[in-house]
Amino acid sequence: MDAALKAIAEPRRRQILALVRAEELSAGEIAAQFDISRPAISQHLTVLKEAGLVRERREGTRRLYRAVPQALGELRRFLEDFWDERLATLKHEAERKERSKHGYRR
Amino acid sequence: MDTAADVKSVDREIAIDAKPETVWELLVNPSEMIRWMGQSATVDLRRGGAYRVQVIPGNAASGEFVEIDAPHRLVYTWGWEGNANVPPGSTTLVFELVPAGKGTLLRFSHRDLPSAEAATSHAHGWSHYFERLVATAAGGEPGPDPWITGPMAKS
Repeated sequence: MDAALKAIAEPRRRQILALVRAEELSAGEIAAQFDISRPAISQHLTVLKEAGLVRERREGTRRLYRAVPQALGELRRFLEDFWDERLATLKHEAERKERSKHGYRR
Repeated sequence: MDTAADVKSVDREIAIDAKPETVWELLVNPSEMIRWMGQSATVDLRRGGAYRVQVIPGNAASGEFVEIDAPHRLVYTWGWEGNANVPPGSTTLVFELVPAGKGTLLRFSHRDLPSAEAATSHAHGWSHYFERLVATAAGGEPGPDPWITGPMAKS
């Protein structure tokens, strides 16, 4: 999950992810959408691939990329983890407050 | 399109050993709110009233109160300022406090998350929040509790 978070922390990688969500595109087609170098795009694609967010398929000399739907499920789990942590802290603070109201040591 | 992967809501139920009134204070009182969320908060606690939580520097969440029924039910809209995908007002947080013995059953729901794509961006803001939490915990600030580092260690 860490790798996925790091991968999507970069705005261009989020844009790439959005591009390949609905359709499979070649590295060249993806690069054509950006004004950065092809190697830079390749690097972003590698990060996304290693994070499990996109899948690469070779067709002759072309490399095609598509988002992995399950990986977006990972993001769902991230959101759940976020709220689990916030709510755990809320619970902790509420219980501490309740105890202090009843004269216990904080 | 794989809609199953789309993030539409996050729902949780947790038991808290504190009365609903105590939990309520943590939800609506700015100085209490920042004990579990954010650095600073402003709250205009009335229906249609605005709140704003500085989650980390440069990232604020804000919205409006939709329902206020102390200490039972609180509904407010939620979004990130300056984020086109999840702007303030675009998603909804629902807190239901059900008395359970001497404690409270908290039913929480984060609703109306529009799509996995938007959630991707939302998670981006939150990942910064986590980095901040990690930094705070690592810096050994005495105030923040071990609960912050605890659950994070599990992943």
